[in-house]
Amino acid sequence: MPNSSQCRALGFAVALLAAGLSASRTQAQQQSPGFAVERFYPSAPGGGWFVMDTLGMHGGLGGAMALTLGYARNPFRIDSGSQNLAVVSDEAFADFGFAVTYSRLRLYLNVDMPLVITGESGTVGGYSFAAPSVNPGANPDTLSDYRIGFDARIFGQPCGRFRLGAGAQLIVPNGHRADYDADGTFRAMGRILFAGDMGHFSYAGQLGVHIRPLDDLPAPGTPRGSELLFGVAAGSRLSVGSRWALLLGPEVYGETAFRSFFGEDTTGIEGLLTGRLEGTGEGPQLRLKLGAGGGLDSNFGAPELRILVALEIFTHHSDHGNDGK
Amino acid sequence: MKLRIEEVSKTVPNVGWQPAWSPAVPARLPVRPRRASLRPSDLHDNRRALMVPRLLPAVLVACVLFASTRASAQASPPAAHEDAELDIMHLLSHQGLHNLDDESWNVYGQFTYISSWKLPFQAPYTNANGSINSLLPGAERSFTGTFSLFFGLKLWRGSEAYFVPEVISERPLSRLHGIGGAIQNFELQKGGTETPQLYRARLFLRQTFGLGGDHVVKASDPLQLGTVVDSRRLVLTLGNFTILDIFDRNSVTGDSRQTFFNMAFMTHSSWDFPSDARGYSWGGTAELYWEEWALRYGRITPPKNPNQLPVDFRIWEYYGDQIELEHDHKLFGRTGAVRLLGYRNHVFTGRFDEAIAAFEANPAENAADCTSFNYGSKNSSAPDLCWVRRPNVKLGIGINLEQYVAKDIGVFFRGMYSDGQTEVDAYDPADRSLSVGAVARGSAWRRSLDVAGVGFGMSWISDIHAKYLAMGGVDGFIGDGYLRQAAEGIVEGFYSVNLLKAVWLAGDYQFLWNPGFNADRGPVHILGAKIHAEF
Repeated sequence: MPNSSQCRALGFAVALLAAGLSASRTQAQQQSPGFAVERFYPSAPGGGWFVMDTLGMHGGLGGAMALTLGYARNPFRIDSGSQNLAVVSDEAFADFGFAVTYSRLRLYLNVDMPLVITGESGTVGGYSFAAPSVNPGANPDTLSDYRIGFDARIFGQPCGRFRLGAGAQLIVPNGHRADYDADGTFRAMGRILFAGDMGHFSYAGQLGVHIRPLDDLPAPGTPRGSELLFGVAAGSRLSVGSRWALLLGPEVYGETAFRSFFGEDTTGIEGLLTGRLEGTGEGPQLRLKLGAGGGLDSNFGAPELRILVALEIFTHHSDHGNDGK
Repeated sequence: MKLRIEEVSKTVPNVGWQPAWSPAVPARLPVRPRRASLRPSDLHDNRRALMVPRLLPAVLVACVLFASTRASAQASPPAAHEDAELDIMHLLSHQGLHNLDDESWNVYGQFTYISSWKLPFQAPYTNANGSINSLLPGAERSFTGTFSLFFGLKLWRGSEAYFVPEVISERPLSRLHGIGGAIQNFELQKGGTETPQLYRARLFLRQTFGLGGDHVVKASDPLQLGTVVDSRRLVLTLGNFTILDIFDRNSVTGDSRQTFFNMAFMTHSSWDFPSDARGYSWGGTAELYWEEWALRYGRITPPKNPNQLPVDFRIWEYYGDQIELEHDHKLFGRTGAVRLLGYRNHVFTGRFDEAIAAFEANPAENAADCTSFNYGSKNSSAPDLCWVRRPNVKLGIGINLEQYVAKDIGVFFRGMYSDGQTEVDAYDPADRSLSVGAVARGSAWRRSLDVAGVGFGMSWISDIHAKYLAMGGVDGFIGDGYLRQAAEGIVEGFYSVNLLKAVWLAGDYQFLWNPGFNADRGPVHILGAKIHAEF
């Protein structure tokens, strides 16, 4: 039988051990390892809008290539009372997209190349964040997560009043969490897409699910698991000469975590004013897109400012309506 | 104006080999950038050893130039793609869905898996005195797996934009240590891991300005849109690429993924062209083609620290300049080419003599006590380059010959002499090198897509480089803790069997002696196997 002094010693040791375990657990929770902060997912190459999709796939075998350059200011900024930390203050990227289309179907690959990701290190709400430091010198050939996607137009004709489609994407991890360009896990998206054209008026929208295993609760501003995706776009189309068209209009899109549905800190909504000049002739056509905007609710990856420019080359068939048959 | 269809891939960087012989050869894959490495040198005294390589090029150049007749445009013979090829673009073309002759875009891909088995070898010492760069004497297996996509796009008249994402998984022998200029697998990259890594291998813009002359057909290939160009033209390239896409091409050795496994046959072992740890650089090149002549100049970025991935973009301060003169000819009716290449690097490296002097003046400045970038040696009795790195110049000059001697049989020779005063910045530790060999396609035995080859290579280090290594110094790749200086040699033979038009299975044997330029170690036997697919 242990005596009282032995009991006290044992109790002290147990207390120390418990304190140590508790401290180590707390310390582990306080370090945020990073995540894919960018929630701007460019539309499939040839998709027309920056995020939405015209569902214009038609005709025989075709394809599209796209280069999207973007800059985001403060896509991950934490405000906690008196504390204010821009963990990711500046982000620039280039996104390369390649698509093959046939009739109503599209298969595509989007590869994201971070150019600059910088920010501030610090501690907010008891959680420490290490600033990313991505630049072309230190990361000369970095590619982050890439997306493999498939879209299908299910209902409606190109240039028709209403088109309905569905799409799926697999996001393959390749970036680094510490650089805030990856979750380090596979992700997937499933979306219902719709679009239409009525005279000079065009619109598009999406509703979908982002299956995201990462849940870094309770670190502020971090992912909370799977998200609902939503967005709409509308614009007016003007003819520019006989072979070009200019479309001007806004896009609004965002996401919210199912875990805290449309919660203040788990919802990001972003708006863009966009314009695109696109060829309307037969065969390979050029599309130049410009966009500027920012977070309508600057949380959860929606930046204060976003500037986008994109160049697309896509195949355009004039046999609208018959899907190339 | 005549229309030349022969030289299809000549201007094509990397387009691997497309020898006169076989059009159908899959050889379209770009010569791979490669890996990185190191090498050393100094020259002073390897004179006797260098006598042959120095004289031989001169003799061969003289012979070729005097005997040559005016040839068609570019060196690499022709070889339009043939129906035998099975790839995406040709399938589309056959269906009437794509115009291979005037492409606005193309997409190609490749997959290559190489496995190497190093048999045990004799070595009286390994990693002596805390050095870390020995080839381990036990049996080892190494592998690389790569998957690449080649996207090409025409933006406007005369322009071509290329983007190449690539995935690599690898395990080198002895952590890529202990071999100088004859690393057994050209795909190996410094810093690679077994976990597959996706990276951007290339992203560049090419602009061609026609200057007249005949029409030359460029066949659709990876890194080449199908088009027609002038035999007199100026080609500007800007962006991210491997300098091997443009310089030191050789249609006989061609695409390394199709031919030799060993790096010694991919380019000059002693050409320390600046690049990141994967073998890619940023920069610009200009090529002037004038009938059978071509003149090239390029400036590219070096790594911030030798053999590392981060790039120094201060290209006005740190850079590698390359210049190459090429002449294409026909010798006894067979196509061939001569290329003279010179380079001058101005990069942040260390000189061997200064490292030795620093150590001798103050033994505290040894390899184990480095306070700046170093390779991790624990040898406190050895000098180290970490103490003396500063802007230094490295110079080199080389010759590259190719000649077809029979239908579908070509021979090649490369020889280069670098000054050998400074450490390897990006490629491998050799200071001087030569390689010679022959490659044959199997048309003679009714296997026209099969490829066979045999090659012999030698590389040397300068005396001051050898002294540094003998004192226990290390660089990015070699340093056994001691050295008995010798030339490193390699003999390789391979046979590649084509299956289903788009897949090749290859077997390979390499005999390597004096690994790491050390006569005390080796020889080493290495067996290899490769599966390669193009689509």
